[in-house]
Amino acid sequence: MSEAEGASTRRFLGIPASPGVVVGRAFVVDRRRVTVPRRHIAPDDVEAEVQRLRVALGLARVQLEQIRARLSLDASDHSVILDAHLLMLDDALLIEQSERAIRDEGLNAEWALRRTVEKIKEVFDRADDDYFRERRSDVDFVGERVLRQLMGAPIEISRPLDLFGPVVLVAHELSPADTAALARTDVMAFVTEVGSGTSHTAIMARALAIPAVVGAPDALRHIATGDMVVVDGLRGVVLRNPTDAEAADATDRGERYGAFVRSLRSNSAGVAQTRDGTPIRLRANIELPGEVAVAIDHGADGIGLYRTEFLYIDRSEPPTEEEQFETFKRIVSTMAPRSVTLRTFDLGGDKFSTAFRIPKEMNPALGMRAVRLALREREVFRAQLRAMLRASAFGDVRVMIPMISAVSELRASRGEFDRAKEELRVAGLPFRDVPFGIMVETPSAVTMSDLLAKEADFFSIGTNDLMQYTLAIDRGNEHVAHLARPFDPAILRAIATVSRAAKERGIPCALCGAMAAELLAVPVLVGLGVHELSVEPTAVPEIKEALRRIDLAEARVFAEELLGIASAEEIEERVRDRYASVFATLLSNGENGTFTETGSFILPEFDGRE
Amino acid sequence: MEVLNERGLHARPVTRIAQTASKFRCELTLGRDGQTANAKSVMGMLLLVCPRGSKVTVRASGPDAQTAVDAVRALFVDRFGEGT
Repeated sequence: MSEAEGASTRRFLGIPASPGVVVGRAFVVDRRRVTVPRRHIAPDDVEAEVQRLRVALGLARVQLEQIRARLSLDASDHSVILDAHLLMLDDALLIEQSERAIRDEGLNAEWALRRTVEKIKEVFDRADDDYFRERRSDVDFVGERVLRQLMGAPIEISRPLDLFGPVVLVAHELSPADTAALARTDVMAFVTEVGSGTSHTAIMARALAIPAVVGAPDALRHIATGDMVVVDGLRGVVLRNPTDAEAADATDRGERYGAFVRSLRSNSAGVAQTRDGTPIRLRANIELPGEVAVAIDHGADGIGLYRTEFLYIDRSEPPTEEEQFETFKRIVSTMAPRSVTLRTFDLGGDKFSTAFRIPKEMNPALGMRAVRLALREREVFRAQLRAMLRASAFGDVRVMIPMISAVSELRASRGEFDRAKEELRVAGLPFRDVPFGIMVETPSAVTMSDLLAKEADFFSIGTNDLMQYTLAIDRGNEHVAHLARPFDPAILRAIATVSRAAKERGIPCALCGAMAAELLAVPVLVGLGVHELSVEPTAVPEIKEALRRIDLAEARVFAEELLGIASAEEIEERVRDRYASVFATLLSNGENGTFTETGSFILPEFDGRE
Repeated sequence: MEVLNERGLHARPVTRIAQTASKFRCELTLGRDGQTANAKSVMGMLLLVCPRGSKVTVRASGPDAQTAVDAVRALFVDRFGEGT
C-alpha cells in the first residue's frame, strides 16, 4: 500500500453500547446477503430439488435450536425472537410457496426461496405500521439462513472462532441469533457498523458484560479477520493495529474498569467533590429510561441530560403527552431526590424523526433542528413541556432547551413553557415551578451569554456541537474530524466566557458534552468555573475519582494561565505535564492501585473518607 | 376479537398463538379484512398486519374446535401477557 495509513482507517468512532475495554484479534462476520444462483431444473429433478429445500430447512432449524439452547435465561427477549424465527422456518406459507415455485415453474431451490421471501417482504413493506414494516428483517434473516444452508455457505460462525481463541466480533450487523450464538466466553467484544444503544447487540453485550461499540461505520471495510483491535466500549472507539503503548493502555483501562466496577459497590454512594472539599455535581447523560438504573449504580448525582428525542425516532407520530409523562415520571421518581434535567427534543441535524416532515437539507447541522423545529411545531413542543412539568410533581425536574442561538428563541420557548403551565392549571393537573435553562452550544449563544444568563435559570454547555460550530468542523467528516480538539483555545475561551456570565448572574453552569468525560479536561473545566459535569453513566466513577484528586484553587489558577496560550497542542502539553501524574492510575496504570483480600480495588489518594 | 395489547399482533403474540394452535388437531384460522391466515403460521398471521385495535375473526373446524377457540380467546383477553 502506497497510501500512508490514515487515522480514518485505523480509528473508528461509534456508539459506546456496552462498557469495558479489551484488546484482541478481530473475527469478521460477513452477514451480507449471499448471491443466489438462478437456474431452471429438469422436470425429472424437481422432487430432488424439493427434497434439497426441505433438508436445508431442517438443518437451519437444528442450528437455530442449538443457538437457542445456548442462550442464557436473562436474555429471554431474544429467546422469543428466536422462537418466532423457528416457527417461520416451519411456516406453511414459506414452504408451500417455495415448493410450488420449484414444482410449477422449475426454479432451483435457492431462487424459489429467495423469491418467496421477497414476496413476503413486499407485503410487510406495504404495511402502515412501523412495527410490521420492520418485520421484513426477520423474514429476510430466516431466508438467508436457509439459503446459506442450501449453498453450503459458511454460517456457523462458532467453528472458525475456535481456531482463533477469544475474538472481537466485527460485523455490519448482528442478528439476535448471531449474537446469541456467540454468547460464550470466547467472544471478548462486539463491533458493528450499524445499530444504536438499543440494538440487540448492545442489549446482549450489556447482559453478557462484554464491551461493545456499535454504529462504527466503515469498520468492516478496514478491519480484517486476524487484525489486532482495541474495543473501547467506554468511549465508543475501535482502534485497528494498536501500537504496543496503545494496546497496553487499553488493557490497563479494561482492567481498571473491571476494578472500578468491583470497587463501585463500596464507593459509589459518595458525593463528588474536589480534594479541597468543594462539591461538584456529577450527573449522567442518558438516552433510555433503562439507563437510570445504570446511572444510580455508577454513583451519578442525578441526570444532567435526558435526550428525549429518542422517544420520537422510528415512529410516524410524535409520542403523546401521556406517553411522555409516564416515561418522565418513571425516570424522575426513580431518580428522586436527585435532580433530572429533561431536554426538549433535539431532532433534525443528524437525528431524524419520521414524525416530522423535514425536507432534505443541504446542511442539516445549520438547518431545521432542535428549538427551531420546536418553535415551528408548537403543539408538539407544548405537549412535551406539559409532560415534563407534570413529571415535576414526582421529583426534582429541570427543563432544558437545546440549540438556543438568540435571546429571542429563549423568550419564545419560555413563552410556550408559560403557556404549558397555564394549560395545566386550567386542566387542574399538578406540577411544580421548575428551573428553565438552555444548552449553550452555538457561538452566538456564547457571545450573548451575559444577556442569556439574565433570562435563563441555568446553562449547560454542549461541547460536541459547540466545537463543531465554533471551529467550523463537521464531526462526521473523516477528513477534518481530527482537527476538532477539546483543548482548542477557542473552546476554552468560550467555556470561560459562558461560566463567567453564569457566575455574574448567579445561575448554575453545567457541561454535558463528551469533553466532561475526558479525564485531562476535568481539572480545566472545573478550573474555568464549571460546577456541574454530566457524563455517560459508565464514566461517572472515573470522573468522580478524578475530581477527588483535583485541588480547585490550584486548578483555577492553572486554567487562567491556559487562557493565554495560543494553540491546542501547547495547551494539551501543559495539561498533561501538570495532571498526567495526578491521574496516573486513572490514565494508564490501574495496577498502581491495590487489591484487598476480598477482591475490592483501592486507588491511592483515596482513603474512603466521605 | 379485538387486539388489545399496545404493539398489536407482533412476533411475540403471534408466536404464542401459533404455539397454542399447534396443540390442537383442528383447523384454526385468523381473519381480518377478508384476509385469512392459518393460526399455526407465524408468517401468515404477521402478514395480516394487525395493530392495536384491529378486529380479528377466529374460526376453527375439527374435533377440538371449541377448546381451541377458547384457548386463543384467552390469549387475546390476557393481551398476550403484555399488560398494556
